[in-house]
Amino acid sequence: MKWLGAVLIGPSLWFAVFLGVYGLHGLICGQWGAVDTGGRAALIAAWGLGIAAFLPVLRLLPAAPEHSIDLPRAGLWIGLGATVFTLFPVTITSSCG
Amino acid sequence: MTDIPSPGQTAPADTRAATVHIPASPAQRALPLHRLLSQVWANDDGLWGQITAVSHTTLGLRFMATAFVFFAIGGILSMLIRAQLATPDGAFLDTELYNQIFTMHGSIMMFLFAIPMLEGLGIWLLPKMLGTRDMAFPRLTALGYWCYLFGGLIMLTALLFGVAPHDGWFMYTPLSSAEFSPGINADVWLLGVTFVEISAVAAAVEITVTILRQRAPGMRLMEMPLFAWYMLGTSAMMLVGFPPLIAGSVLLEIERAFDWPFFDPARGGDPLLWQHLFWLFGHPEVYIIFLPAAGVMSMMIPVLCRTTILGYGAIVAAILALVFLSFGLWVHHMFTVGIPHMALAFFSAASVLVAVPTAVQVFAWIGTMWKGHPQLHLPMYHILGFFLTFVMGGLTGVMLAIVPFNWQAHDTAFVTAHLHYVLIGGFVFPMMAAATYWMPLMTGKRRIKGLGEAAFWVILIGFHGTFFIMHLTGLMGMPRRIDVYPDNPEWIWLNLTSSIFSFVLTIGFALYALDLILQATLGKRESRDPWGAPTLDWAMPIPSPNYNFASLPTARHLGRDAGDIIVPLARGEGMLPGAPRGRREILVTSVGDATPDHVAMLPGNTALPLVLSSAICVFVLLMLASLYALAGLALLPVAALIWVWVRGMAPQGAMTPVEAAPGLHLPIHHRATTTLGQSGLMAFLVANGTLFSSLLFGLAFLSVVTPGPAAPPSAVSAAQVLPAFALLAAALVLALGAMGWRRAGAAWAGTALNLAALGAVLWLAVQLENPTAHTRDALRAVLTGYIGLHVLVAAGMSAFVADQYRRGEISPEVPGAWPSCNLWQRYTTAVTLITLAVVIAQGVIT
Ligand code: HEM
Ligand SMILES: [Cu+2]
Repeated sequence: MKWLGAVLIGPSLWFAVFLGVYGLHGLICGQWGAVDTGGRAALIAAWGLGIAAFLPVLRLLPAAPEHSIDLPRAGLWIGLGATVFTLFPVTITSSCG
Repeated sequence: MTDIPSPGQTAPADTRAATVHIPASPAQRALPLHRLLSQVWANDDGLWGQITAVSHTTLGLRFMATAFVFFAIGGILSMLIRAQLATPDGAFLDTELYNQIFTMHGSIMMFLFAIPMLEGLGIWLLPKMLGTRDMAFPRLTALGYWCYLFGGLIMLTALLFGVAPHDGWFMYTPLSSAEFSPGINADVWLLGVTFVEISAVAAAVEITVTILRQRAPGMRLMEMPLFAWYMLGTSAMMLVGFPPLIAGSVLLEIERAFDWPFFDPARGGDPLLWQHLFWLFGHPEVYIIFLPAAGVMSMMIPVLCRTTILGYGAIVAAILALVFLSFGLWVHHMFTVGIPHMALAFFSAASVLVAVPTAVQVFAWIGTMWKGHPQLHLPMYHILGFFLTFVMGGLTGVMLAIVPFNWQAHDTAFVTAHLHYVLIGGFVFPMMAAATYWMPLMTGKRRIKGLGEAAFWVILIGFHGTFFIMHLTGLMGMPRRIDVYPDNPEWIWLNLTSSIFSFVLTIGFALYALDLILQATLGKRESRDPWGAPTLDWAMPIPSPNYNFASLPTARHLGRDAGDIIVPLARGEGMLPGAPRGRREILVTSVGDATPDHVAMLPGNTALPLVLSSAICVFVLLMLASLYALAGLALLPVAALIWVWVRGMAPQGAMTPVEAAPGLHLPIHHRATTTLGQSGLMAFLVANGTLFSSLLFGLAFLSVVTPGPAAPPSAVSAAQVLPAFALLAAALVLALGAMGWRRAGAAWAGTALNLAALGAVLWLAVQLENPTAHTRDALRAVLTGYIGLHVLVAAGMSAFVADQYRRGEISPEVPGAWPSCNLWQRYTTAVTLITLAVVIAQGVIT
């Protein structure tokens, strides 16, 4: 059960970062109606923080027993890849339209 | 099974030790064992036996057979469509009937064929593959089957009487709202499909629990057959994918029945909400259908190529990624409105990303074929048919994903063609392969050579003839869902050709069915383990007996050729040999390492599932007839039957530990810490929580995004409702506290407190504003109803526990229904507090 939980860490982290960054975007658009330089910086910072959040987890995750497949780690890499890939739009097209 | 070296060589000694060294039981004579087990596990005789059957073997086969019948019906409807389109004025169906027919074709194929088929496959195959004797909740399997059958029959009857749904398989509002669809057509869809979905959620709960808790001892998660991984992904997606659709259907049905405005823009609703809720389900749906098909491919390809699967770990990671990323596609709907640019960019990113895990699997299969020695048995034909068709479907999918092209091909026959390449390529071909592959296990018979191959070629030619040409008609601009095209003579020849090939296709399917029927009736006896497979599903006599294994396989039996372990298992050398206590016993193991935990006793044959689903059916029919007061009354027998159902789980007989293997004594489930039932309740609460979240999503969406008219000011002041809020919250929190105490008195206190909470809910209900006036009030009414229902159930559960004390069924070692009652109370309290907070926040903000 614990192992299965560990497997879900990576994708769940992606989900959380995803909701956070898009939520922030909605908030900025709601408040100011446009994403100015400050808003963009905030978005990129949130994105960067989200990516950075993976690093300690990657380090802290105990290594899998030898010869067995390390699915929790694979899950982390999946989450990290998805975070980088699905959120990079904030850096290029963060308009409110 | 996999390219993981066989157990014992790899695993670290500590986790292994417990399971590897389970001693073998002494060998017995196989025949008496078989007789005894048959006596305990067999269905009752004759037709009555079919009614009371709860066995996964019987019900899994019946699920699949019924799904195949619906496939045939859907196929006949598609023939009518193609006959109509063969000529430009298609004289024989009028527009209304044509709309009903394509809607029913799509709905039948998706809800009554594809999903039940994969459920049936999972139910039939998983226990055999995991090394157990049945699914976790046999009565629930049966209930699911009857709900599916009744829901399907309701929809078919409506078609016969010409009142079938006609708004397309995704039922967009406002087309499907009361104003535009006044008849009962739309209600048939909403109620029928929701009815069928009860069975889908039931199956998802069961499949999850069975995979996590019933694997053979020592079969760790990372060593289970890939099909189980695929089904785990599928059932997880069903648990969170179906509730939004159920929520949407219930809201739409309430709007149609009681005029509560959820989708009506004039009163603060939004037709977009339906689309969101539908696609919250619709995106994962594609993968829900695809994953099990990919699962059977991953089992068959290595065996048919005489090798092991390439990249087991990569495939599991791909499944994990697919499940989550398809929910990424799911989430983008929350952002599509208001920020289309962002949403579009994100959508493309996520779509591209989903292609990666799909490609990983396809490459793993190709690599497996490459390194092995493919043998051209019949299942392999269909596997090759899958590759050809699915890859082409993927290519046209990429074309559709390109935005300008999509704009051109949008809603043309091109989309229909793409859809069928993906669905028939990605689902029907793999299922046909699977059926031919597992037929010997289902029937014990060998197939008759030649016919199957002929059927395959006819299907392949017919399919590509029909649908390849539809790409072209689409490119020439022919829209989908039209019944005549008198002004477009240039489409005539293509359409006619396509229709002719579709008849070839039908003949192919008929030949395929004939082949299976001939095999089942006239085939010669097949020998055991005909494919030389390394998985447990073949390590049993064929056709498989209801109990699957005379003794349960353990770590020693894993990863070996099925042929080598049939005899030791049949002689009772595994765990829990025979049925010496005359009960249906299975082994429950731990989630991660599959160490033996306790022995569960499964219920025997009973007609209760049929009776309960009939009671639900009465409710649905009364709703359809718009007899709402009577429908409310019809819930009473449903509730009573559920009580009877749960009573059926009460402890009876000896509760002494069972010697599962020499020297290994395991408690029975009444004394276990986490039973299958509790795991099941948790899985159900995941689905239930998603339903609740969908309602909250609706509330957020309608109050934040939708521009509609503001709600009229409340006539009820905060001071008037706050006492009821306080009473409700206090009663529930106190009830939760009382339950920590675990005495008879606590059960009674819990009942009383929940009843007080129910009173508070009623008090709130009478203060609610007219729910037909505005969406805000309608949503509040729905949430009140949701909470009321949960509090009512909580009261019922604590009363049940109190009743168990009265009967003396609970003792310090036997917790009875306490843990489940507690879990439910926690959930109820949580959703209530969340709802109260949301409503208060809404009152403060607006
Ligand atoms: C047996 C061979 C089949 C044929 C000849 C066939 C033919 C067709 C045709 C011609 C349409 C278009 C109707 C229109 O737009 O006017 C259609 C729609 C559709 N088909 Fe099939 N089909 C077949 C099998 C399947 C299967 C196996 C599935 C799913 C598993 C499926 C799912 C659908 C869906 C979802 C629609 C869209 C319905 C709508 O627009 O609401 N079909 N089919
Ligand atoms: Cu979408």
